[in-house]
Amino acid sequence: MTTVSASSIYAKPVVPRIVVRPALASVVLHATLLIALTANWATSTPKTITAKPAPMVINARLVDASEFRPKPKPKPVAPKPKPVPKPQPKPEPKSEPKPAPVAKPKPVPPKPTPTAKPKQTPVAQPKEAPRPEPRVEPQKPSKSSADLAALARAELATVVAEEQSAAEAVATSAEMTASYAALIRQTVINYWSRPPSARNGMEALLSIQLIPTGEVVSVTVVRSSGNTAFDRSAMNAVEKAGSFPELQNLPSREFESTFRRFSLLFRPEDLRY
Amino acid sequence: MEEQLSLIDLVLHASFTVQLVMALLFVASMLSWYMIVQRFIYFRNAHDEMYQFEERFWSGVDLAQLYREGSEHTAEGHVMLGMESIFRAGFKEFSRLAQQSDMDSEALVEGSRRAMRVAMMREEERLERHLAFLASVGSTSPYVGLFGTVWGIMHSFRGLANATQATLATVAPGISEALVATAMGLFAAIPAVLAYNRLASRVEVFSNRYDTFVDEFSGILSRQAYALRSREKKAGAVAGGR
Repeated sequence: MTTVSASSIYAKPVVPRIVVRPALASVVLHATLLIALTANWATSTPKTITAKPAPMVINARLVDASEFRPKPKPKPVAPKPKPVPKPQPKPEPKSEPKPAPVAKPKPVPPKPTPTAKPKQTPVAQPKEAPRPEPRVEPQKPSKSSADLAALARAELATVVAEEQSAAEAVATSAEMTASYAALIRQTVINYWSRPPSARNGMEALLSIQLIPTGEVVSVTVVRSSGNTAFDRSAMNAVEKAGSFPELQNLPSREFESTFRRFSLLFRPEDLRY
Repeated sequence: MEEQLSLIDLVLHASFTVQLVMALLFVASMLSWYMIVQRFIYFRNAHDEMYQFEERFWSGVDLAQLYREGSEHTAEGHVMLGMESIFRAGFKEFSRLAQQSDMDSEALVEGSRRAMRVAMMREEERLERHLAFLASVGSTSPYVGLFGTVWGIMHSFRGLANATQATLATVAPGISEALVATAMGLFAAIPAVLAYNRLASRVEVFSNRYDTFVDEFSGILSRQAYALRSREKKAGAVAGGR
């Protein structure tokens, strides 16, 4: 009798029922993990470059840009930086310090340039050669402006290259990225032929992915302008530009942080109609 | 020029076997996390109750009183955990045996000790519940994931056999989706192994504490048993224990 009843006390398989909290914890953990893995972290802070074609009037002033090529060599001083930025930045784009950097870092290091420049210019020349040809074809209507733009791009490329070699130590990363952003913007604008249906106030935000060689890997419309033709034209512009080999000169850290994935904002604000 | 392959697409476009493997691993991971959290909560409770009970036990309280309190607790639906259930098993057996006058003191202590051993085994069994599952998830899920990966890679290379021009792009997506299986296997295995090791060492600690308690308590009981029997001998008559 004793043994039978004794076993009944502690033989009762009482297992405390702890079910809800662990189940919840497990589900929540896996859900957050899934979300974290599927969420696109890269798009959270892409740099946005605004591509607003400048009105023609300002485009004409681009010729000024050719003037400042020789200038950097004879040591441009304080006043020069101001005229330089104006030509390419057109109507001030949103991204902050784009215009300034082109000239800023120059004052200090013109001495090392003589040795470095010859190295850099050959890098820039091959770029100039292939570019003008394709550019003339897509932009039949405004041949002269396209030529000017090609010239401007070449100028920009050389200036950027010079700046890079001359001011490696001086140029801050922000200035470098700003000048490269300006280069990208200018290139894309040159290839951009807006559809007739484009209106002022339209905005298309594209997400662009580059690889370190400067080639465009993917273009997607993040925010449509509402006009398919306009979106198409923006995508075409980037696809035609194809690659920005100048970016190879950029230190890889800067590249990863800004140009691996960035947004390009297209808005035609110069339109008169 | 297309968007990067997203993880969801990789999983959805995987072949059936790979998907099956991934589902298995996902379920294993869910279950093992459930068990990990459940075990940790249980261990924390058991630990707290063990300390509380030890404090009560050594505070000089009357053992019969302590037993009665425990009975009230259980009657209220409170689950008896760990050390207290060992104590109850031993004490109950002791008081029951003490009522039989033909039992000598050694048999008394021996009997209650046996009851405590049984209760301790039960407690350890309760503590170790689910640990075997964690151990097997920890040791097998990398292999399961690897199986999925190998299968997926086999598939993507088989597809390559028909292609006249083999490029990286033709096999890369297949390999990428196959590798997801390995990643999932590792994801399931790593926490399971870590938790298993941690929990196993805690089980060890608990069972040592229980062991010590059983020895200490049977010491107390044998003292009482001797006192009881010698009193009975002096009285020379049958008397009830406590």
